[in-house]
Amino acid sequence: MKKDNKKPERREFLKKASKVSLATIASALLPMSVMGLANEEEISISTSEPIDKSGSVDELKNRMREDIKRAMKKPIDERRWGMVIDLRKCVGCNGCTIACITENKLPPGMAYRPVLTETHGTYPNVSRRFIPRPCLQCDNPPCTEVCPVNATWKRKDGIITIDYDQCIGCRYCITACPYSARSFDSGFFYNDFAGGEKQPYEKLPSPEYNENRVREEGSSPIGNVRKCTFCLHRVEKGELPACVLTCMGRATYFGDLNDSKSLVSELAGNPNVMRLKEELGTSPKVFYLT
Amino acid sequence: MKKVNDKNISRRNFLKIGGASTVGIATLGMLGTGFEGVSAAKAKRYLDEKSKTVYTACAMCPSECSLSVNVNDGVISTIYGNDFSPYNSGTACAKGASGLQMAYNVNRIKYPMIRVGERGEGKFKRVSWEEATNFITDKLIKIKKEHGPESVIMNAGDVTDRDPYWYLFRAFGTPHTVEHGAICDTPRRHGPKLMFGGKRIEPDVMRPVLVRQPDGSLKNDYSYKNRLIIYAGWNPFTATRINYESRGTVEAKLNGAKIVVIDPAFSNTATKADKWLPIRPGTDPDLFAAMLRYILENNKDDDTFYQYIDWSFLKISNGWPEFFEEFKSFWNKKDPINGLNYFSIEWAAKRTGLEAKDITELSHMFGSTKPASLVWGMNGIGHHYNGYIASILGTALNVITGNMDVRGGAIDTELVKSDKGGKVKGDDFNKREVTKIINGIEVTGEQEKLHMDLYGKWPAGWDDVVGDYPDRFLNGVKLNYGPFKGHEYPIKAFLIRTGNPVITGSNTSTWTEALTAKEGNDYKVDLVVYIDTPFLETGLYADVILPEASYLERMSLADIYPSHQLIYLRDAVIDKLYESKTHYEIMMALAKKLYEKGDTDIKPKDFWELFPTEESFWDEALKKSPGRAHAGKPLPYPNLPVNYKLYGTPESLENGNVSIDHKKKEVVGKYLTVQWLRDHHGVAIWPMSWNRMQDGGVLKTDTKKIEFIWDFEINKDGKLQRKGCYSKANKLIEESNITPPSIQKLGWNKYPSTFYWFETNWNSFTNPNYEKYKDEYPFQLVNGRIHHAMSGTQMIDWLGRISAEDLWVPLNDKMVVDEMIIGENGPMPTNRKIHLDKHTWSIAVIQMNYSDGKNLGLETGDLIEMTNPLGGSTRGKVNLVQTIRPGVLRIPFGGGGRFSPGMGLTYAFKDITPDANSLVDPNNHSPIMGQPAYIDVLVKIKKV
Repeated sequence: MKKDNKKPERREFLKKASKVSLATIASALLPMSVMGLANEEEISISTSEPIDKSGSVDELKNRMREDIKRAMKKPIDERRWGMVIDLRKCVGCNGCTIACITENKLPPGMAYRPVLTETHGTYPNVSRRFIPRPCLQCDNPPCTEVCPVNATWKRKDGIITIDYDQCIGCRYCITACPYSARSFDSGFFYNDFAGGEKQPYEKLPSPEYNENRVREEGSSPIGNVRKCTFCLHRVEKGELPACVLTCMGRATYFGDLNDSKSLVSELAGNPNVMRLKEELGTSPKVFYLT
Repeated sequence: MKKVNDKNISRRNFLKIGGASTVGIATLGMLGTGFEGVSAAKAKRYLDEKSKTVYTACAMCPSECSLSVNVNDGVISTIYGNDFSPYNSGTACAKGASGLQMAYNVNRIKYPMIRVGERGEGKFKRVSWEEATNFITDKLIKIKKEHGPESVIMNAGDVTDRDPYWYLFRAFGTPHTVEHGAICDTPRRHGPKLMFGGKRIEPDVMRPVLVRQPDGSLKNDYSYKNRLIIYAGWNPFTATRINYESRGTVEAKLNGAKIVVIDPAFSNTATKADKWLPIRPGTDPDLFAAMLRYILENNKDDDTFYQYIDWSFLKISNGWPEFFEEFKSFWNKKDPINGLNYFSIEWAAKRTGLEAKDITELSHMFGSTKPASLVWGMNGIGHHYNGYIASILGTALNVITGNMDVRGGAIDTELVKSDKGGKVKGDDFNKREVTKIINGIEVTGEQEKLHMDLYGKWPAGWDDVVGDYPDRFLNGVKLNYGPFKGHEYPIKAFLIRTGNPVITGSNTSTWTEALTAKEGNDYKVDLVVYIDTPFLETGLYADVILPEASYLERMSLADIYPSHQLIYLRDAVIDKLYESKTHYEIMMALAKKLYEKGDTDIKPKDFWELFPTEESFWDEALKKSPGRAHAGKPLPYPNLPVNYKLYGTPESLENGNVSIDHKKKEVVGKYLTVQWLRDHHGVAIWPMSWNRMQDGGVLKTDTKKIEFIWDFEINKDGKLQRKGCYSKANKLIEESNITPPSIQKLGWNKYPSTFYWFETNWNSFTNPNYEKYKDEYPFQLVNGRIHHAMSGTQMIDWLGRISAEDLWVPLNDKMVVDEMIIGENGPMPTNRKIHLDKHTWSIAVIQMNYSDGKNLGLETGDLIEMTNPLGGSTRGKVNLVQTIRPGVLRIPFGGGGRFSPGMGLTYAFKDITPDANSLVDPNNHSPIMGQPAYIDVLVKIKKV
């Protein structure tokens, strides 16, 4: 089943949903208008005022911001968002992991972008590298095909999204993803681990998918599967993803792979590029430099 | 208050999402049976006008990066680096990004409290600020009357915006105003201090730097010219003291620099090294001495391949011949422990445990590769008894090879950072004349000469000797030097702000014994005040606890170590939470109370009349900025005179909107202010240059030259003048005829005038006195600063769920924790249960070489006990890895044994996590500055 670039029809969705479980009926009956995520064209509109970064001292970030602006002027199906992570420069600080958690307002224990540590050898001949692992936004995503309710699909710009209102939390996609890039929101709050009262920052709305949902018991995204979106909500305002912004080693780059002038295109063209589990044919859009 | 009840918890089935623990992030998942469908109806549209961005400075660690903090509806939402500051160039680490969990932590101190139980019991009651400040000032007035103001210590602790407290207590009349710098890695900084008047040598890797171009314009320079960077016992990637060394080091490497890391553990920094040299702990001076000897013996001025030494250093230095002669005098002496000649390659190989060929190669590489930098750090050299020697040798190596302050070389950042503070440090108060009656005689002298360390046991220190405080608490002070020689006084009040000496200030039980010691029914130290945002162990021993606003709620200035003058503002991002007050407000509240109670040293004209607002206080501090000599190439301001001190905003200096005082050699533009910084993204940047040590430049030594001698005479206008960094202390010793006990142990009667050598303590490989412990105590125990798990931040959820460098790993058992939090009356149980699944929460562990562990029949996760020859012991789980030298164990500093309930979940693991300072010899203070030798420790282990 292939359904990329196309949001499923409601009729098809209803058909699917009815097969699954009683719990999903409730969501299926909600009118589309309150489903938060409207059609993708709406969220693709370059919003808000330009962010003034003149005087910013980081030339690479400035260049990437220009790359994003250029891409946003093109129709959505001509953009191809991608990321390059230079493993030679990742210092293993975990800054991206936490910045992403704060940006997307993730619950305790969930991380869209952990940093994996890989150690080889025996003393004194040891080597270690740090591998940040966002969602790889595969061109052939194994995760979308298994969704029984068409709640997850590849957008025209290559980003794999999840419609929280459609997702029934079956977690087939978690099993299907060969990179463990999807997590299930089990409904924990920080107060489950300290204090008993919700923290002010977890009452803030999450900007994910521009939906500004406040995470509350009994409603999405609790009970849904969640994942990295390359911070689309930032990108489409001309800003960089949280992980790129914060990276201590300046090891993470972002931009439009369909633009030969973009920094990511330039870097992804290097001979020392690798992608994770290339043999699976998933064709990730996260390129690692080694 | 909503409860998480057991019923709720038991409904939940915990399952670990596949692979979670293997990726180092502790992930909790729940198979919820209570899933109630989805409801997007509750989704809210967020209003943009409710959000704002504030530029400020981090204080989660002393790196103090420039931040851009986003606030939504009055709540901190995200924390990113400030894109306008070249120091961190928009980056922020995990800890910086986690700052909101510090501000909103349930365990922060919310209200003033007064102790109701015994010290250490942790029993407090909430009081008003009125009651708390009355309690404190009544005692201060009484102590001042009975013992003198010098009986009071104000330790402004671990964050560098300590000026309000210093200002108040210096005005009150005590010279004992301390900061964290007194207790962290002073041996590391000694060489630059002696030779440059500086402090911290770092590689020239901060990019971009703003540089004057040949066409007169100012441009950001992003180029890396480094060819070799050697980090010894310095782990900038994990102990993020200098932010730019993360991106700078890896970028320099990609631009052609070789990176060498010398460290017994395979640190995160070592992962990016071309060569990792796993040295035996405590032998850094041995390695550096062998490198210097090799370079001196093998230098060939006429062969470019062996032209190690750049003799031009002789023009800008004093005393090299004396230094060289003293250094060389060891070459033919035999080391009693191995019978080899001092400083030879073979000797160093034997002692350091490194291969002779590696030492030779390193020496040749450092001599022949330019530009290079040799950088050493706090984890190693800073915390050994003999760290001074490594620091001196390392400084000399950078100087003679021509690498100091050249593009791509080494920079003493202390000398080139922006100045700040000035009047608000309270230096003027310390210069006041005071009178004391000593043995019936009236003596007058400056207030600062009452200092318990500088005129007591440690005359060559330049800060306080915090590790030695327990001794002062118990035995009082007797001054040995200066006008007040013979003056005796007790220490009756200890105010500690943002510090936690019970865990970090040398041996833990020595501290707790001193703080709880009694004289009759009263505690010897009559008043202990703890001022902070988190509630750490030292708070348990306080009589009064004051809630200080977190760094996100107060104003001050960042204290940073960039490659050139740069300063940024710490600005209040959100309103103060609970009943906390800023340090400025606490200063004023205490000052007003003291004034009302009749303390004549506190004058309205020095306090509320002079600084009516917080901003006015920090505006005064900014008048000193940038405050450095105008020096180097390319000259920052071609139209301004060389070697004059510059003051004022970058734009006023750039536009020549200045007045020039030729007598004082000062150029004063428009003073920098808080408002100016706010108008410029929080940051002021002045231009970079190199070769700033030529013609005096930024050097702060007596002679404005690099000094290889530290006590000497010069003839000025027919008069002999005594100069050099040790000359003042030696004069005091000569006048008083009392040798400081710490150097008496070394067989010295005063401080040496040039190169010196002594062995470290508790090292069975290099010091014959400790050889006897080799078999029974086979392990050397070191500790490293692990960023995520430092003393004051372990209550942060996000940091508990990531791991770091084999020392902070999710080796926890499955457990149900009875929750304690810091409530309005101090630590209290909440009757809630916290469920932690196995391997989901990072704890401090003991890093051990895999083969050592196997030989002892240990597995990762086994609980062991480490015991030192003095009987001190601590427990922890072992982590068997390939990433550490055999025979060496490593634990995080401040990582374990945390017995304050304010530590959040870390508190639950206090009995199975190691406290580094339970094993530190409380009397092993390094001889010159009194820094506790935190990592000169021998242990034996047994499985528990």
